[in-house]
Amino acid sequence: MTGDPATRDTRGAPAGTDPATRDIPGAPAGARPRAGDFLTDLFRSPLDPGYAAAARRRAGRPAPTGVRRATAVGARAAALLGIGFVLAVAHQHVVAAQPQTTRARVGLAADVLARRAETDDLSRRADRLREQVAAERDAALSANGEGARLRDLEAGAGLAAVRGDGTVVRLADAAPPVDPVTGRPSTTNPGRVLDHDLQDVANELWRLGAEAIAINGERLTATTTIRAAGGAILVDFRPITAPYQVSAIGPHDVRSRFVASATAKRFRAYAATYRMQFSVRDRADLTLPAAGEPSLRYAHPIASPVPSASGGGR
Amino acid sequence: MIAVLATLVGVALGVVLEPTVPVALQPYLPIAVIAALDAVFGGIRATLDKIFDDKQFVVSFVSNVLVAGLIVYLGDQLGVGGQLSTGVVVVLGVRIFGNVAAIRRHLFRA
Repeated sequence: MTGDPATRDTRGAPAGTDPATRDIPGAPAGARPRAGDFLTDLFRSPLDPGYAAAARRRAGRPAPTGVRRATAVGARAAALLGIGFVLAVAHQHVVAAQPQTTRARVGLAADVLARRAETDDLSRRADRLREQVAAERDAALSANGEGARLRDLEAGAGLAAVRGDGTVVRLADAAPPVDPVTGRPSTTNPGRVLDHDLQDVANELWRLGAEAIAINGERLTATTTIRAAGGAILVDFRPITAPYQVSAIGPHDVRSRFVASATAKRFRAYAATYRMQFSVRDRADLTLPAAGEPSLRYAHPIASPVPSASGGGR
Repeated sequence: MIAVLATLVGVALGVVLEPTVPVALQPYLPIAVIAALDAVFGGIRATLDKIFDDKQFVVSFVSNVLVAGLIVYLGDQLGVGGQLSTGVVVVLGVRIFGNVAAIRRHLFRA
């Protein structure tokens, strides 16, 4: 453990330093030349030097017996009892303090999941009932051509899913510009897709004769809103995320006319200037889902069915 | 043997009694834990080195807890309590690591 001079020299003391004051690695603890380097000391001899000192004191003396020994063992046991107690108390303290931070969140998350499952159940039930109602109505109206007309109107109003060939306009945020000083993404991104961008695209598609439009699977109706809330875009109050796909079913020339429109020109300029992603593509056999059931504003369902004045064909 | 028993009894007492830590003492709890762990690992290492000493063990535990608590208390009064408790944790943590490394060398010769 004494280290040969060659290796010690490679560690090197600055020229002119008195070798006696050097910290000698591996020297016995009792013969340490200086105790100035606290950190080195700390890392090298983590054991309390008291143990070594006590062992040296004890050396040669007989082991304690009788009362002295009993006292020593009792003190040791008491100290360990205290240590165990402290550890247990600390653990319980941590466990008791934890719920303050996490219990609320866990409870809320469970609440959200439960409510979401409930919502799914209810909406499935609503779908089933709606199908049932539609079937009953078709059966009732099949006598004349009203049923087909109603279905057409429903498709147009967004109350029924529609299928057909159409076009898909894809918009996506540009990658945020990186701040050249901090190297972090800048918070302002001119290439972000805004709610009114989607409004413009949807309006242009309506203008070009689209029969049905959906944004990321959210069907647009006459009363659907496209709005921003914070950083998110809400379509019919449901948040949607980039990339945004505006799917439209309409005449076969919708794509070419849309590409030639002023709106598309503006988005091409955005794409060139701000690196917003913008593409228009024809897609065959698009399926657009039905919009959510519109809430009745003026009519209210009544508790007991009453035959209508006109009789409704029944 | 008696050491393990005493520790287990202490843990059991802590679990059964469920004492509430007074608010004034709460900042010192982590310090006490670290000091206690330091004493335990120091004691284990000394036992393996065959130089364990009851008096040294008791005194080092009690004085570690008291001195660490005192330092943090002083720091609290001077507005550097958090930093000082970090310092205490670092110093005792280094000792714990060193002792554990020594214990490992004793047990596995590696």
